[in-house]
Amino acid sequence: MQNNKGVNRSLLILAITLFLMGTSHGAELAPLTHNLTVIKKPMPAPNLRLKNMDDEFVDIKDLKGKVVVVNFWATWCPPCRREMSSLERLYLATQDKNVVVLAVNVGEDIDTVFPFMGIVNPSPSFPILFDTDAKVMNQWKVRGLPTTYIINPKGDIVYRAVGGREFDNPKIIQAAINLNKWDLRN
Amino acid sequence: MFTLIKALVIGLALSFSCFAEPAQNKHVDPATGITSWEINSQGVNFSLTQILPEQAKAFYVNRGFTLKQTESFASSCVYMTIMRNDTAPGTVHFIKRNWSIISDNKSYPPVSVATWLKKLKDNNVNKTALIAFRWAQFPPEQEFEVGGDWNQGMLSIGLPANNVFDLIVRWDINGKEYNATLKGVQCAK
Repeated sequence: MQNNKGVNRSLLILAITLFLMGTSHGAELAPLTHNLTVIKKPMPAPNLRLKNMDDEFVDIKDLKGKVVVVNFWATWCPPCRREMSSLERLYLATQDKNVVVLAVNVGEDIDTVFPFMGIVNPSPSFPILFDTDAKVMNQWKVRGLPTTYIINPKGDIVYRAVGGREFDNPKIIQAAINLNKWDLRN
Repeated sequence: MFTLIKALVIGLALSFSCFAEPAQNKHVDPATGITSWEINSQGVNFSLTQILPEQAKAFYVNRGFTLKQTESFASSCVYMTIMRNDTAPGTVHFIKRNWSIISDNKSYPPVSVATWLKKLKDNNVNKTALIAFRWAQFPPEQEFEVGGDWNQGMLSIGLPANNVFDLIVRWDINGKEYNATLKGVQCAK
């Protein structure tokens, strides 16, 4: 029993060390891209009704008329960690321009996510939702983390990004804002 | 004149052989000894980085596994895998079970995520930990659009420590098949 505790403690220290190594190694990694895939035939976004950190439901149906950025992520996913601060900067740059950001955490709980928020700079102030059993993620046909979708005010998915991105790139910020003109163009 | 033509022919032959075999890079981290192999082929970047058994154990213990439940996966020759569509001539689509590991003159696919999930479920790994396991793996199937779609995840080779193998990665673009081979990849000790 005592030995097990010792081993677990060592593994925890190793995990923290590896996490820190991963963070510093991140600086040497190739820069994240800022391309979005245009969905040639926009399709209606699947249902998404999940609890936020205040234990209140957020339903994407209530966000019709807004541009919605939906990001699927987890704290243990290195590219998700890398892009999180840029997602907050996207949110800050577009929150008064009819754009909503939702980050859907997969398989974790508030006790895991909350401490992580504290080490992201700037710390996310957009809603974090919890897909604890990964069912919503499957409905959205996500195949790998992170995956991000951008939905136009009509409720159709029009952009997708598989893998980490620099969401505060002016090109992405502008693409999100421009979706407000979607109804005029179509 | 004849010598000039001969030199041109040799030069052309050498340049074609370079195109046929894309350069493979190997990098050893001086601090940890962890080794990575990387290849750029036909606009696709692919790399494998060793995950030491202790690293894999630490990762999954922190996701809710018991130490015992981590052991078989951690010792199955695991890599952090990255694949990215930089400049391929279209949407890259792959099915992981079509990839081949060549070791001791035998060829077989990487151990599937479904195989591991069944095994871990039989070992009573809890549901939350299984979700983390599933999504920490490199996807069984995926599509990467050109211009930077990519994924990072774990890949289980299913060989004992220190073994050496080649990995043939296969993908298609609009039905046309492509492949790249990483040669002489070594499982962590």
